[in-house]
Amino acid sequence: MGLLRRILKNGRAAESAVPTDRAVPKAGDLGGSVQVRHVDAGSCNGCEIELGQAFSPVYDAERHGVRLVASPRHADVLTVTGPVTVNMAEPLRKTHAAMPEPRLVVAVGDCARDCGVFAGGHGVLGPVADVIPVDLHIAGCPPRPEQIVAVLRGLSGR
Amino acid sequence: MNPTGTALITALLLAATAALAALVFPAAWRARVVGTLVAGTGSSGVWAGAAALSGHGWDADLPRLLPLAGMRLAVDSLSGWFLLLIGAVAVAVGVYTIGYAGPGGRGAGSRPSLSLLPVFVGALLLVPAAGSVPTFLLGWELMAVTSLGLVATEHRHHAQVRSATVWYAAMTQAGFVTVLIGLTWLAAAAGTDFTAVRATAGVLSPAVKNAVFVLCLVGFAAKAGAVPLHPWLPRAHAEAPSHVSALMSAAMVKLGVYGLVRVGFDLLGGGPRWWWLTIAAIGALSALYGIMQAAVATDLKRLLAFSTSENIGLILLGVGFAGLYNVEGARGLAALAMAAALLHTLNHAGFKALLFLGAGSAVKATGTRDLDQLGGLSRRMPATTMLVAAGALGAAALPPGNGFVSEWLLLQSLLHQPGAGAVLAIAAPTAVAVIALTAGIGVATYVKAVGTGFLARPRRAAAAGATESPPSMIVAMIAVALACAVLAVLPTITLPAIGRIVASLHLVSPPLDGGLTAIQLSGYTTRFWPLWLAAAIVVVTGLVAVLARRFGRARRRAVAWDCGDGPLTSRMEYTATSFAEPLQRVFDDALAPERDVDVTHHEESAYHVQAIAYRQRIPDRIENRFYQPLLRAVERLGLAGRGLAPGVMHRYLAYMLTALIAVLLAGVIR
Repeated sequence: MGLLRRILKNGRAAESAVPTDRAVPKAGDLGGSVQVRHVDAGSCNGCEIELGQAFSPVYDAERHGVRLVASPRHADVLTVTGPVTVNMAEPLRKTHAAMPEPRLVVAVGDCARDCGVFAGGHGVLGPVADVIPVDLHIAGCPPRPEQIVAVLRGLSGR
Repeated sequence: MNPTGTALITALLLAATAALAALVFPAAWRARVVGTLVAGTGSSGVWAGAAALSGHGWDADLPRLLPLAGMRLAVDSLSGWFLLLIGAVAVAVGVYTIGYAGPGGRGAGSRPSLSLLPVFVGALLLVPAAGSVPTFLLGWELMAVTSLGLVATEHRHHAQVRSATVWYAAMTQAGFVTVLIGLTWLAAAAGTDFTAVRATAGVLSPAVKNAVFVLCLVGFAAKAGAVPLHPWLPRAHAEAPSHVSALMSAAMVKLGVYGLVRVGFDLLGGGPRWWWLTIAAIGALSALYGIMQAAVATDLKRLLAFSTSENIGLILLGVGFAGLYNVEGARGLAALAMAAALLHTLNHAGFKALLFLGAGSAVKATGTRDLDQLGGLSRRMPATTMLVAAGALGAAALPPGNGFVSEWLLLQSLLHQPGAGAVLAIAAPTAVAVIALTAGIGVATYVKAVGTGFLARPRRAAAAGATESPPSMIVAMIAVALACAVLAVLPTITLPAIGRIVASLHLVSPPLDGGLTAIQLSGYTTRFWPLWLAAAIVVVTGLVAVLARRFGRARRRAVAWDCGDGPLTSRMEYTATSFAEPLQRVFDDALAPERDVDVTHHEESAYHVQAIAYRQRIPDRIENRFYQPLLRAVERLGLAGRGLAPGVMHRYLAYMLTALIAVLLAGVIR
């Protein structure tokens, strides 16, 4: 009964579905199911928190056919955050190479686009696009979960 | 003399020659000569068996050969089946010995070991050929003693070999004593000759029959390695040289089954329901316990030994249900269950001989039996790996392996049970469930054995530096693999012989027909085409591979995923322990593994861990619960017995006087 009471008291916690980002081209080859592998190439983890939120029960990206997976071998889409550091450049390349085709790369956050405040810093190699080909950017420092979900939803087309 | 007799006598003479040759020839030639002669013994055994199975029964009296009782040999179709099986295994083992023992003259190539080997093979052939109680007991004991000597071959090198030998000696002799008492009792009541026993078995009192059966069951089940009389088996099979393990596992333990069938069905002419229920229950227990222990074993040969327990369990299930159906009046199904059991003895002999010979090849090359330390042999020893994989396919009881055919027949006999009587209605479905579970775990077990032992990368230098075994060993294994393949795709060639055997055991002919390529149960629509199934699997697999290459996406070469970091090492592979971990978790309550986790902390801070040591041991629970208390009790009794001999002369004189008076009194009263 305690659970039922709490459900009644709390009411609905989840946000309603985010509208699809129409600007994102639908990845037709993926057939509505998008498996995502995430790589942190040197981020401050702000983007990770928002990505985590995008897959949390509140925003629930999984209802749009998007799943986080544990290996690039299973993934269609690679999300990368942060400026690419020297130490993470090679693992990032390997991760990208390990993905089956067709594959898409989504750079999440401003640092992934242009290194943000870390530009020119010690150990920073450069933006993601310098290391692997990037298909989409999600702007923001960090981007809001809604933005992330909108883009992923655009990819899955659902 | 008819062909059976000629071949059998030839086999025994060849065995004797080989034993003498081992004593005479120098080390450089010993293995070659003895191996060839053992192979000759085996092929004569096969010839004798085939002749007996095609209807040439043979019996002979050799009254002067044994004092008091004389020897009597009698070969019928049931004997023929086991002669064929033993002979075939001996041929492979003989050829294998040439390479395995080698010219060094040590260990398996030593004089005692090589001279015992042919005697052992001869004794194995003598047991099913025995036609009287004394001959049978002679063969049985000769087999036990020679195999004991062979198990002890490497006793100088490893302490475990000595412990295994002691276990085997104790259990095999205890088993012999029960068989001795049982059969002597039978001989006293019904005559020593098997023909005389058969003639008078009908009028024996049920009490005598029951006692004889129970005593023989204990002895034969111990020899067959059935749970709970199995503790010698994983020890002896693991510690013996591999060609001996192959002979013991493929041929010797089958003689336990032979003994049960011979005494239970043939000599005593069947019995009450509880006999067969007991056999079936022992079979079910062996099957389950054996495969569970095999699934978590990390020692390759111990795994194979426990799998032997499992297969003996399946065979005993078949024998038990044959008797049970016979009592219930379902004679066709009884014949079918017996046919399945007999076919499984042959199939198991095939794939288990192959697996033990293959294991021997791997162990000889690497010096270790530990699956956790092997791995990567497929590159260094491709022939051995392929042959072991072929054996594992049979042992996993998946089509197109040969183990599948007999397990399928066994399941058919259980699924078509007539539904008469509460006992059958409960026992048959239970047996089906047991077989299903056993088969499932069996697949995991053999995937583990081949996958972690032979594939992937070598985990130790010993495995990395392995070299392929000499050609004689490979040839022997290829011969066994071919025999397995024939049994897998054309099992129907054995059906006429099996029909004759089953008919000779007071059962009807098994209700099977369907020509060369199909097996069909008469009266049912159930049908199975082993040849076409195997062909279909090969064709479909080939077709998929070709089509995928032709029409699929272009291949892309990439490194194995290593988490983006450094190269993969063999430390990251599945070991046998880690592969079996989920299964072990599932059967945690049944297996009761012992785990130790030692965490060492830094001196400065209890929060900093310096090292973690994890140890796990999966003990044989039946052994701990049942045998350890028994051994302790025997030890206490022995210590207490010392009190009887305090070294006082008067006491000893009093004992003698009392004994004398007791004997005299017994004589007078009688």
